[in-house]
Amino acid sequence: MFDPANFRPVSRRDMLLDSFCGFGGLALASLLGGQARAAPKDVLAAKEAHNPEAKAKSVIFLFMAGGPSHLETFDPKPLLNKLNGQPRPASFGEAKYQFINADSKLLGTRRTFQRAGQCGLEVSDLFPHTARCIDDIAVLRSCHCHRVVHSAAQYELMSGRVAPGFPSMGSWSVFGLGSESQSLPAYVVMPDPDGALEAGQPMYSNGFLPAAFQPTMFRPGATPVRNLNLPSTVTLAERRRTVELIRQLNEAHLPPNDDELTARIESYSRAFHMQTEAPQVFDIADETAETLKLYGVGNPTTDDYGRRCLLARRLVERGVRFTCVVSGGGAGNKQWDAHSDIEENHLRMASETDQPIAALLTDLKRRGLLESTLVLWGGEFGRSPEAQGKGRDHHNLGFTMWLAGGGVKGGQAVGTTDDIGLRAVERPIPFRDLHATLLHLLGLDQDQLTYLHLGRDERLTEVQGQLIEEIL
Amino acid sequence: MMYPLRVRFLNGAALLGLVVCCAASVAWGQEYTPEERSHWSLKPRAERPVPQLESEEDRRWVRTPVDAFIREKQRQLNLQPAPPADRRTLVRRLYFDLLGLPPTPDEVAAFVNDDRQDAYEQLVERLLANPHYGERWAQHWLDVVRFAETEGFEYDHHRPDAWRYRDYVIQSLNEDKPYNQFLREQLAGDELARQMKEAGQTDLAAQHQAYVAAGFLRLGAVRRNAGNQAVAASRNEVLTEMTDSIGAAFLGLTVGCARCHDHMFDPIRQRDYYRLQAFLAATFEHDEPLTTPAEQAAWEAEKKRAQAEFDALKAKLIACNNLPNCPEEAALRDSLKQAEAKIPPPLASLFTVQNAGPQRTAIHVLKRGEWEQKGALVGPRPLGVLAPREMPELAADAPFPRTVLADWLTQPDHPLTARVMVNRLWLFHFGQGLVGTANDFGLNGDRPTHPELLDYLATHFLEHGWKFKPVHRLIVLSNTYRQSSTTAVENSGHQQDPHNSRLWHFPRRRLDAESLRDALLSISGQLNTKAGGPSIMVPVEEDLVKLLYKPAQWQAHADAAEHDRRSIYLIVKRNLRLPFLEVFDQPDRQTSCAARQATTHAPQALELLNGTLSNHLADSFAQRLQREAGDDRPRQISLAFQLAVGRDPSPAELKLCGDFLQTQPLREFALAVFNLNSFLYVD
Repeated sequence: MFDPANFRPVSRRDMLLDSFCGFGGLALASLLGGQARAAPKDVLAAKEAHNPEAKAKSVIFLFMAGGPSHLETFDPKPLLNKLNGQPRPASFGEAKYQFINADSKLLGTRRTFQRAGQCGLEVSDLFPHTARCIDDIAVLRSCHCHRVVHSAAQYELMSGRVAPGFPSMGSWSVFGLGSESQSLPAYVVMPDPDGALEAGQPMYSNGFLPAAFQPTMFRPGATPVRNLNLPSTVTLAERRRTVELIRQLNEAHLPPNDDELTARIESYSRAFHMQTEAPQVFDIADETAETLKLYGVGNPTTDDYGRRCLLARRLVERGVRFTCVVSGGGAGNKQWDAHSDIEENHLRMASETDQPIAALLTDLKRRGLLESTLVLWGGEFGRSPEAQGKGRDHHNLGFTMWLAGGGVKGGQAVGTTDDIGLRAVERPIPFRDLHATLLHLLGLDQDQLTYLHLGRDERLTEVQGQLIEEIL
Repeated sequence: MMYPLRVRFLNGAALLGLVVCCAASVAWGQEYTPEERSHWSLKPRAERPVPQLESEEDRRWVRTPVDAFIREKQRQLNLQPAPPADRRTLVRRLYFDLLGLPPTPDEVAAFVNDDRQDAYEQLVERLLANPHYGERWAQHWLDVVRFAETEGFEYDHHRPDAWRYRDYVIQSLNEDKPYNQFLREQLAGDELARQMKEAGQTDLAAQHQAYVAAGFLRLGAVRRNAGNQAVAASRNEVLTEMTDSIGAAFLGLTVGCARCHDHMFDPIRQRDYYRLQAFLAATFEHDEPLTTPAEQAAWEAEKKRAQAEFDALKAKLIACNNLPNCPEEAALRDSLKQAEAKIPPPLASLFTVQNAGPQRTAIHVLKRGEWEQKGALVGPRPLGVLAPREMPELAADAPFPRTVLADWLTQPDHPLTARVMVNRLWLFHFGQGLVGTANDFGLNGDRPTHPELLDYLATHFLEHGWKFKPVHRLIVLSNTYRQSSTTAVENSGHQQDPHNSRLWHFPRRRLDAESLRDALLSISGQLNTKAGGPSIMVPVEEDLVKLLYKPAQWQAHADAAEHDRRSIYLIVKRNLRLPFLEVFDQPDRQTSCAARQATTHAPQALELLNGTLSNHLADSFAQRLQREAGDDRPRQISLAFQLAVGRDPSPAELKLCGDFLQTQPLREFALAVFNLNSFLYVD
């Protein structure tokens, strides 16, 4: 039976309340309840992790939007090829799909799998380059999520909830660790120039976390970041004078010991830094020809994703905490959303991304950055073992993602799906386990990284996530 | 004393339902203990006499009863109230607080030079009667009710009639509609409209208002998808969203925490969560037509025809695309575009809900909140901790269930409704509530800093017919409100009460996103003060529109003058938030937001320095200075300060700006003024 007299949640607030009884306690209660009211120092200042020993300092999420097939990539299923064209044997159980129905037939894959690396894990011929990095990669073959439609699954992938309004893992990471860079945003999303995704901007957002933790979208084209460029009518020298006038006027009116107004004055220095220094990150002229070639820059197929992967490495070098590099955007077939033709779609999508991704892993490694950079690959779900015409439908019951770097033990596969790749059977990994593990690798504890919202200490994992111990 | 559901508030049909179901009702095993029922916010309001202050000096300080409560608590910490703010500060504070707009230099001068005894009181009355008041305070309420005009998720379809709800809120506030009526209309407006119709009332305007108000229930994001529909899961998402929004907005309780299990902190059993949800079992979205059946039939026919034409062309285009070489493609695309434009837009209707009895969802207690895991069937019943043990559930098919819920919430002795609302009013005036967690009056929320004052205000609210304006008066006429925001460094308050919970000075605040945009427009002479009507889409960078899954949804209004409307009239699109508003902490409107944050970070500075809006308006502002002050630099500078910060520049400021303007253009000076802390903050 609930008894408020002897049941008390133990939290930072309670500990403080207990140590400041009486009136001080009352004041503190109101003070700590509204975290937003605390004096706004630089909320983005770098913070020590809960576990300072953690290796990973930054994350690059290679987001394969639309849902890449596990069956064509990292999870070979010989039985599926044998059962090609037949209905699913009842022994595998039920599945609900967005489009196809119970009468659909299984579809074998035309991809072949090769053993790769020292570890000998099988990788499909879609990814010859990535296969060469397999010893650094931990393949998670038993991922699953709760929804079989894009928007809800994308929200769950990013924020742990199937509805919008919750902070993304990028925002949580920056909330936990702050920013290492004075001149770059801490959390960057590089969308695919082909267009947007179903869940839209809210999936990347800071939700109820303060606006400082919102993502910065690096858009294709001449002005990747909003407001970094001066209006065309103003010169930098002119604007420098204006910013100086602002500082002088604001300082003339600055009361002593005023943290808030001081922080605002400082935010202008930081803004000016960003404006003058951030554009340098986009200028890849200082990269060697070998590096550009490695990423496939210059080759029309790989140029776009290659540039963005290279940019991701440059961001990591400069202390950016979380970078999301999206492959896929716009109409379904421009994503990994291979409803109509799995062969055509995946051959194309893989050819655009395989070399850049392998280049990123290789480049990070040779620069000694892979140890401190966690790389995550995957989409919001996988694809159905059943055919939808020549394609495959969405599939949330079992699919593959992978992790590399950041202290992850590579060269292994964790978990399995059943023999036709329908359902995660061994060591099922819901997104919350992935989130818990990602935070853990960054040195953040899922239970300590909370934010009070609508009466709940919200966290990324909502329900307790289990660490994927096998890869730690 | 507990809170009996007062039978006199029930209409006949509901009463019948109640009686029918009485026999079946037995108290569930999970009775609430007296301790649980004695949480401060669940206890009845007490009579709170205005404190009698001992010292003559303190008594002289008291202007409204608010001051006596505040002064008493300050005394306990030996805090001294700050001296009164000067008139210039006060008039700027009051304009932003009540109207969300800066006073013009003339308005400042009029008040500063008004030597009548009651100049301030007169000002307050003028502002409370000003129609901008409703626009300003509606913004607060729209945050609480997660108002947005699109569905969110994948399609983010626009809700072309949702603006009527926004206008309803503005109008209600300007009329000073009693809150009990305001709440009732939002929870059960469609039921009220039906009752009006059935009673033969012909006041269509009143019925329309009631329908529009009930749109509250469907303001949340809603997921739609192509292909197979997970009907039960979607319905569960909608019911959850509505229930949690009611809990946050009207009850100030985090009822949503009890969806998966008994509430971890508050005395809300999981069963009671679903009983609350059961009031909504028959509630479904509905568009109440504003057109005649004949008009609707004509529209249907036209739509069918245009759609068929469109579909035929589309099929041709697909066939064409499948050919190795198709010379007609461009022409086909063109015709397709024309055909799409001919599909008639939806007919105007009222964005609302209705009870669809036959489709009623059977409400079960759901294990872990999962819709497949059905437990006991429950009926509508108010929260158990506020209800007597023997109170029965309402019959599941009671005809007007949400009216019953509204009746329960608006009982004068309901412990939460009035307290939650007056706390919101206090919060919006001071930036901090008497209860810091305005959406959480539960055990995990803050305790009130001034419980007696909270009850006093709630009682005052009720005694004045649930009207907001009497509470506003009590607050803004107080000396507490009129204090200066500046404090001496050596003031002991900095140590004793660093976060000013005892209000020993007025809390300075940064302008919220909408006030900032409106103020920029206003001082630049660009503000279009047109009120009401469909929401406006303003031009945004093409790159941002491309980030939409359906970029065609964003169509900037053809008339540029409309782009300069007040922020409350700009469309709230869940998947494309206006970057200017977003960066200055506008909430995402996905869930209820009780209090705005006021963060400080570099992208805000970049927005004001390099953003399109501020640079565009800097030009307008410079032109205005030139127009109104001629070529005289000191006059330009003075006018800029008067417009932006409500005062003349100091000699030091005048010199700095004058030196700057010797070499730099006026529009750069104008831009600098937009970035002054004295402009961005309200003292």
